[in-house]
Amino acid sequence: MSAESGTATAPGQRSSGGFDRSRADRGGPATTWRAFATSARLGWQMEANWTDPLLFFIYSVAKPLASALILVIMVQIVSGGGTGAAAARAFVVIGSALWAFVLAGVQGIAWSVLDDRERYRMLKYLYVSPSDFLVVLVGRGVARVAVGGMGAAITLVVGVLFLGVSFDPGRVDWGMAVVVMIGGLAAVVALGILMAAVCLQTRQESWSYPEAVAGALFLVVGAVFPLSVLPLPVQGVSLLLPLTWWMAGFRQAVFPATISSVGGDGSLFQALAGSATPDATTIVLALLATTVLVTLVTAVLFRFSERRAKDRGLIDRTTGS
Amino acid sequence: MGRRPTPGVLVSDVPRPTDAISDHAIEARAVTRVYKARPAPVTALAGIDLEVAPGEFFGLLGPNGAGKTTLIKIFTTLLLPTTGTARVFGFDVAVQTKQIRRIMNMVAGGEQSGYGVLTVREQLWMFSQFYGLGTREGWGRVDDLIEAVGLGEQRLQRISSLSTGERQKMNLARGLLNDPWILFLDEPTLGLDVSAARVVRHLVSDWRAAVPGRTVLLTTHYMAEADELCERIAIVDHGRILAIGSPAELKRMVQRESIFRLELDRLDGGPAVLAGLPGVVHASPAGGADAGAALDRQTVAVNLVLTDDAALGGVVGALGSLGAHIVALAKSEPSLEDVFVELVGRGFDDAPAEASR
Amino acid sequence: MTGPNLYVHRRTSGPRAAAAWDRRQVLMNNLRTVLGRAFPRLIGLTREPSWLLFEVGLPFLTTSAFVLVYRALQAPSEYIGFVVVGGAMTAFWLNVIWMMAAQLYWEKDQGNLELYFTAPMDMMAVLFGMAIGGMLASCLRAAVVLVIGSVVYGVHFSVDQWLPLLAVFFLTLVALYGLGMMLASLFVLWGREAFHMTQLLQEPMYFVSGLNFPVGQLGFLGALAVALLPLAVGLDAMRQLAFAGGPIVFTTPPPGVEVLILVVMSVVFLGLARFCLRTMERLARHEGRLTARWR
Repeated sequence: MSAESGTATAPGQRSSGGFDRSRADRGGPATTWRAFATSARLGWQMEANWTDPLLFFIYSVAKPLASALILVIMVQIVSGGGTGAAAARAFVVIGSALWAFVLAGVQGIAWSVLDDRERYRMLKYLYVSPSDFLVVLVGRGVARVAVGGMGAAITLVVGVLFLGVSFDPGRVDWGMAVVVMIGGLAAVVALGILMAAVCLQTRQESWSYPEAVAGALFLVVGAVFPLSVLPLPVQGVSLLLPLTWWMAGFRQAVFPATISSVGGDGSLFQALAGSATPDATTIVLALLATTVLVTLVTAVLFRFSERRAKDRGLIDRTTGS
Repeated sequence: MGRRPTPGVLVSDVPRPTDAISDHAIEARAVTRVYKARPAPVTALAGIDLEVAPGEFFGLLGPNGAGKTTLIKIFTTLLLPTTGTARVFGFDVAVQTKQIRRIMNMVAGGEQSGYGVLTVREQLWMFSQFYGLGTREGWGRVDDLIEAVGLGEQRLQRISSLSTGERQKMNLARGLLNDPWILFLDEPTLGLDVSAARVVRHLVSDWRAAVPGRTVLLTTHYMAEADELCERIAIVDHGRILAIGSPAELKRMVQRESIFRLELDRLDGGPAVLAGLPGVVHASPAGGADAGAALDRQTVAVNLVLTDDAALGGVVGALGSLGAHIVALAKSEPSLEDVFVELVGRGFDDAPAEASR
Repeated sequence: MTGPNLYVHRRTSGPRAAAAWDRRQVLMNNLRTVLGRAFPRLIGLTREPSWLLFEVGLPFLTTSAFVLVYRALQAPSEYIGFVVVGGAMTAFWLNVIWMMAAQLYWEKDQGNLELYFTAPMDMMAVLFGMAIGGMLASCLRAAVVLVIGSVVYGVHFSVDQWLPLLAVFFLTLVALYGLGMMLASLFVLWGREAFHMTQLLQEPMYFVSGLNFPVGQLGFLGALAVALLPLAVGLDAMRQLAFAGGPIVFTTPPPGVEVLILVVMSVVFLGLARFCLRTMERLARHEGRLTARWR
């Protein structure tokens, strides 16, 4: 609006010497993509530029590989070298590999908040920028998910080549694998945002919180043992988690010879569905439904956390002990 | 104007300190500091010679990047000199760090250190333990200092919620906890508003005045601050000391005479009648805005250049006998930036490439 | 204007007298530093109670996951005991690497490191204070895992010799914290790498230390771990003493030998820590890294 003439100014048209209101309009998909891409690039720079490529590679694969090896040794001690041991070994290796995604995603997004608030003191500047804070967070976390993916892939390769995990490309259900991975990663990102919401409220020492939550989830999603080992009520909780269906779906799609994490004798799934093993459709639908549920809950909680953080001045505070 | 001095030459009238190292609070001999950096090493200090007497309030004045903070880090044992020696009360900064740390403290401007979860009182008490105070003694000392710096109302407030000025007061209180014999202040009023900066300066002055022998080394790029607080100042640029002296001595480097601006209700015969008076170097009508303002007020404005301030008395007496009354009298002094420009050929804020030397 | 007496505290005859501390003053300074540095950690625990859930409650669930792996494999019950003991000791290892080893790096980032180095106390006292401050949470976490894990999962301990068991526990902590101090000095110099290197010290260390299984199962690697890593030898000794007379045969040295190894490790790591901290400080002062923030 021009102060002198009182006539309206078209969007994008600068009023004569005055404030251009259209600049305050919310940006469209292009702006959102730009924010995401920029923060993803920043996240990758921060993840990858701290050392030489060899050490970075070692760092990226050491954690998931070590996790897998711990479990492999555990299997080896108890079961020796029989076929049962091979099946158990494959089960834990695949679960450990996928868990690298979870850890990276949950930690990556949550740590973005802590990093930017406590170390770089940039959180307030990101927050007051026009970019959607949530988009920036997700972009930053994506880099860590990518690093986690690298570790997961290497662990699976090592598992197939050296640890006796049976893999037949001809038996892979690629369509299901793609759908399951998309749904699973969406769930991982949602969990990461949930942890970011928690970290917005907590102090600097909450670096360990995302890992603690991931560790708790490790217990109930069938990552390294079938759900049938858990008490029935706990299995009920497990079946409501998208990570459970993601793990089961990936195993079924890519490594169909492995034991089902969801089904099996004595499992709640068998009691409910009457079948020992869920089929592909059940897995995909369950994954999508639980992912949507978790995403909705996360969205609500994140906005609540944001509001509370603004109300209490937590966005630019630094804590520490 | 006086002759341009040789950079680094001591111009102070204070007798040169003796060679006995314990006579100096701070002593630096040919100190250099080179940082390894890409693409080329950076020379932060290019040969510093400096002596500060015990009980002196000494300033290092220079633009950003001059080397002030590097030098103070060497004295506070955070950094080693690449070559040369530096001592604090006779203790070598390279090998006698523990002794130095027991008798000194440091406060930097813009400090954001500390633990946000603690209150002001708790934060200071924690540091009191680091400085060797007893547990109860520490609480008592903290409470005294909190009152002294004016943070009584904020004592139970978490430090993460302090304003910039309050935080700097807390930092200053931390710096005084161990009753240091020498206090290093690295741009302590950086980022503070006028009122907060004034408070910090007064606190430092009061603290120093309370016990004879307390030494302060202040680095700053605020001329007025150096002028107000320091007994002697070293002007630093590009890692070198260009001149050392009291503020008055440094200003006399660029202006040896005293310049006054007089506004009189009348002056029969004009400024020329004053030119012949003893001590008067030059008397001329004021020009520019001064002249315009005087015309509006129907007064006479005169620029008077005297050999020294003492000659003013004679001028005033002569004016009285001429029947002229003084409406306004102001002394025109060069600033320390004028000194810097005189030495370097550029202002504090000008880029080095514009230097005419 | 405040009265001058508020600025006068302790009077000494001069700076050289003020700088001349006797051994008692040095000792008391360092002891008070331990208390002072532990103080913010302890205060933080009371002011932000979320750690109870995230640092004590949830990690118990992580330990439970490994217990259930053994259950799924129908392993002997002693292995579940191994996981419980390993889970308890994890708390101390995490305290060492995150609250001590990486801590100086964080302090440099926050601008606190230069304040520590301009104060007269020993840096080992500061690090020890950090460890003590985190000890409460670690002990609580370990206790929860041990007690609740034992009750829920039916672990039966058969301890013949309590004194050696307590000695092993204590010596393991001393050696661990000595190692943590040594790492802290390295991390100050490594800069940003410190954060990532600390992460590398989690799962890989769990693996080579036999967190969830007897380290002797790793063969030569296990033997090496017992010789070099406090967590490995401490865990193994504790398991041998806590489950004495059980059916599991340990292929590692007996507890008596492992106690000696821990004693040697304690001395070596504390000595190395002192050396590394002094070397770190000298190098950092030489290269100007005590105050660099961007690495």
